[in-house]
Amino acid sequence: MTVEAAPNPLAEGLHDYRVADPAVMVIFGATGDLSGRKLLPALYNLAKQRSLPAGFAVVGAAMDELTEDAFRKEASDKIHAFSRTQPIDDRVLQAFLASLSYVKVDFGKLDDFKALGQKLQELDNTNHIPGNRIFYCATPPPTYQTITLQLQAAALNAGNGFHRIVVEKPFGFDLKSARELTQTLQKVFPEDSVYRIDHYLGKETVQNILAFRFANSIFEPVWNSSLIDSVQITVAEDIGIENRGSYYDHAGAMRDIVQNHGLQLVTLMAMEPPLAFQANEVRDEKVKVLRAIRPLIGEDIEQSTVHGQYTKGWVLGEQVPGYREEKNVAPDSQTETYAAMRVFVDNWRWAGVPFYIRAGKRLPKRVTEIRIQFKRPPHLTFGREAMKEVDPNAITLRIQPEEGISLKFGAKVPSAGLRIRSVTMDFQYMTSFLVEAPEAYERLLLDCMIGDPTLFTRADEVEAAWTFVDPIEDAWRNGRPPLGTYAAGTWGPPAAEQLLKADGREWHRP
Amino acid sequence: MSITVKPTSDPLWHGEDVTISDVLDALSQVRAKFARDEAGDDELVHPRNCVMTLISVSPDEAHEQVAQRTTQMIGAQHPVQAIVIREEAPLRGHRFDAWITAEVQRPEMCCASECEIVTLHVRGAAADHLAGLIDPLLVSGVPTYLWWLGTPPFGKRELLDALRVVDGLVVDSAGFDEPFKTFHRMAGLLKVAHHRLGLADLQWSRLRPWRETLAQFFTPLDRRPFLSGISEVGVDYAGEARGNRIAAALMTGWMAGALGWKLKRATAGGGGVVVAHYEAGNRSVEVHFRSVQNDDLAAGELSAVRMAGASGGATFRVSVQHDPERKRIAPEPSYRTLHPSGGEDDAGIELAERRAEWHRDVLHENIGSLHHTATGDAPGESRPRHPVVLTSERRRPDSGRVLLTIIEIGEGAPLRHVQQLDLEDEATLLLDLLSTGTHDEVYNRSLAAASALMEKL
Repeated sequence: MTVEAAPNPLAEGLHDYRVADPAVMVIFGATGDLSGRKLLPALYNLAKQRSLPAGFAVVGAAMDELTEDAFRKEASDKIHAFSRTQPIDDRVLQAFLASLSYVKVDFGKLDDFKALGQKLQELDNTNHIPGNRIFYCATPPPTYQTITLQLQAAALNAGNGFHRIVVEKPFGFDLKSARELTQTLQKVFPEDSVYRIDHYLGKETVQNILAFRFANSIFEPVWNSSLIDSVQITVAEDIGIENRGSYYDHAGAMRDIVQNHGLQLVTLMAMEPPLAFQANEVRDEKVKVLRAIRPLIGEDIEQSTVHGQYTKGWVLGEQVPGYREEKNVAPDSQTETYAAMRVFVDNWRWAGVPFYIRAGKRLPKRVTEIRIQFKRPPHLTFGREAMKEVDPNAITLRIQPEEGISLKFGAKVPSAGLRIRSVTMDFQYMTSFLVEAPEAYERLLLDCMIGDPTLFTRADEVEAAWTFVDPIEDAWRNGRPPLGTYAAGTWGPPAAEQLLKADGREWHRP
Repeated sequence: MSITVKPTSDPLWHGEDVTISDVLDALSQVRAKFARDEAGDDELVHPRNCVMTLISVSPDEAHEQVAQRTTQMIGAQHPVQAIVIREEAPLRGHRFDAWITAEVQRPEMCCASECEIVTLHVRGAAADHLAGLIDPLLVSGVPTYLWWLGTPPFGKRELLDALRVVDGLVVDSAGFDEPFKTFHRMAGLLKVAHHRLGLADLQWSRLRPWRETLAQFFTPLDRRPFLSGISEVGVDYAGEARGNRIAAALMTGWMAGALGWKLKRATAGGGGVVVAHYEAGNRSVEVHFRSVQNDDLAAGELSAVRMAGASGGATFRVSVQHDPERKRIAPEPSYRTLHPSGGEDDAGIELAERRAEWHRDVLHENIGSLHHTATGDAPGESRPRHPVVLTSERRRPDSGRVLLTIIEIGEGAPLRHVQQLDLEDEATLLLDLLSTGTHDEVYNRSLAAASALMEKL
């Protein structure tokens, strides 16, 4: 429960002052990849920037037999290897490591959770912690429900202070499993204590979409179907599936990217201005967009979606194998590594404006961007010849890697005659801000500690996204439309080009 | 005759005895050449990006070098229009010498950006009319900041004239000559400057970690009542003369302003401790200021801040110390009763050792006899040197990189917490400060309260 209180007068004027209350963070799966690569380095960096309060403690919980010293050594190694800030400050690191403890927990054993509870109680006493707890499930999704129920059985989900649980995407495999997970989580924790983390939302540039739209007055008046022709969202990766074959072959591009990152970008791009940048206001507006997306049913799916799988090819100058030759992938796999679709947001603002979404692996480059294509001017004042080199106006919001915003417009070419050509006005984060952007996990972990769920996904968002995705997944599994192929290093199957060509448009080259 | 310091990088253009029009022409050419060079055969010229104009005014060679170095570091990371001005003795007319250098950055993921640094050595009347000089060079539509190195001429027309065209003035009160007087004059600036002017102080930025750490202690809701239970505050600072109390006074002014304390009086305590008495509602708060000797800290730098009190039947103490790895000295029992922070209060212990050794006011009162003793001059034969707080090297980049916080609540064992201090070089502080602008109501309030406190002390 959020307690409203007068602000701390001593914090006034301290910009970026975001400090959590003393708490214990329990990381389930503390010896795993996510913990070592992301969570522990992020916590170290939070300590380094003085965002962790005195008394904050981290308890690693995993099935490995480890001493506390061994866990600290492992944590130290991971922080040295993966911290965003280098070199490592030894005094901060030592102080941070001193706040780490380790408890062996077999997720199936209630006694282990009770022992964990005793450890937490000890830390409360020694560190002046008023019972605040954050349980972070850095474990495979099938364990979320087990852990949640064991926390309840050991009475670790209630008591003095706040009790929050963090789960990583994917939130379920389809609508049914997502609902089951939600039901379990909500049986043990109230919804506002459940933090579904999609690290994409922690990226500065994703948040900047909202700043760009709602902190400026010149863009909102043109942000609608009167002036916008179409929107293209591209989430392209040049890498393959790396060591995630067993996961990816069951998920595919739709579940891995489109259901979460892709649709999140649609919501941020299309949502109405929230009353305030506060959790429920923002998430209410996002849910409205998800519910306004026209469902794709039956023939719509064949006409409006494309899925494909990469075959061997060349990416970034290197020859790479085809998807079915990757490790832990079935040789006859029908899993898509590329997904594209045309969707409509059926509301007043976006009526008739197509949103083209594409996501894929082994594409020519790593790039995530939203391109807003404006309509052509209603009248060619300068004549067709003068305007032949002019594209319609476009705004490109680049999420990664060249984070920035670009505006394309026509300008007169200096000469005696009258010729117009397109030029761009670029804003680049890298050269325009003084402060290094924090890693997404730093932002999100701190949000969770402070109790700000704005950038976390709410249960109804998850369900709305699955509601849209499930019928498409079902149709694809039944070969409607057939799975296409594309050579690694190209921009997807030919059908993806046709999808836009049929509308008289083409994909923007990022 | 002043020494001419040339910019450290090779200038793209240099002119002697030139006018501002010459500089503007040269600047246009430099920009056009960069744009042409960067544009490929089939690539469009990238538009310029600029977020502010930063003007640095340096009184001498040493400060000019700091300004050049800092501006280059900022320019290397950030698209700014930078102007470095050095006032020279009025040797020749109203013209000046100028250099244009450039910092070009080519990030892997972005197109190149260029930051031009215009260095002007001005003489004569031009130096007294900085606004007219710099106005044509300012980039339209972005904030303009004036960083005055050394001691700004507060109260003089020269400064007020320059402030007409800027949005913010940045100073470093840790480097003022005659710090006590200059600090007071600075506090009066906002009353006479234009209403849009923001005033920023690098010394205030250095206090940020201290403010953050103390604010953190009171952030949990269950500790918020402690704010109205504070009864005692101790502030230790390095250096002797009263001018070294600026940081301590700003810290206290910040607390008083935020918590609504009213200054009642100041009294001299034992061992060189000066006590400020505040009224906080129906209770009183004592703030103890002590000068400590600490070779690891620059004069004026904070050594420790402690707060203690009680609320709802629970006592609390929070102690924040600079550089806790200093050599431990055996505690003195009489001192521990006042500051029993887990035996870690090195600064306090050192003060206790020194309490009989000096007292700055005694020095001040006996200035005549001390001068006679030192020089043998009869009274009135020569003027005694006024005790001056040396401002050179008042800040050192390596002086203590860690804050140790010790928290005691009730009977519980002390909780220790180590936090890193940010880099305190000018470029880092300036970048941090300028990224949020120079309008800071909390600073303005704290400055006014600190000035009033300094007056009483």
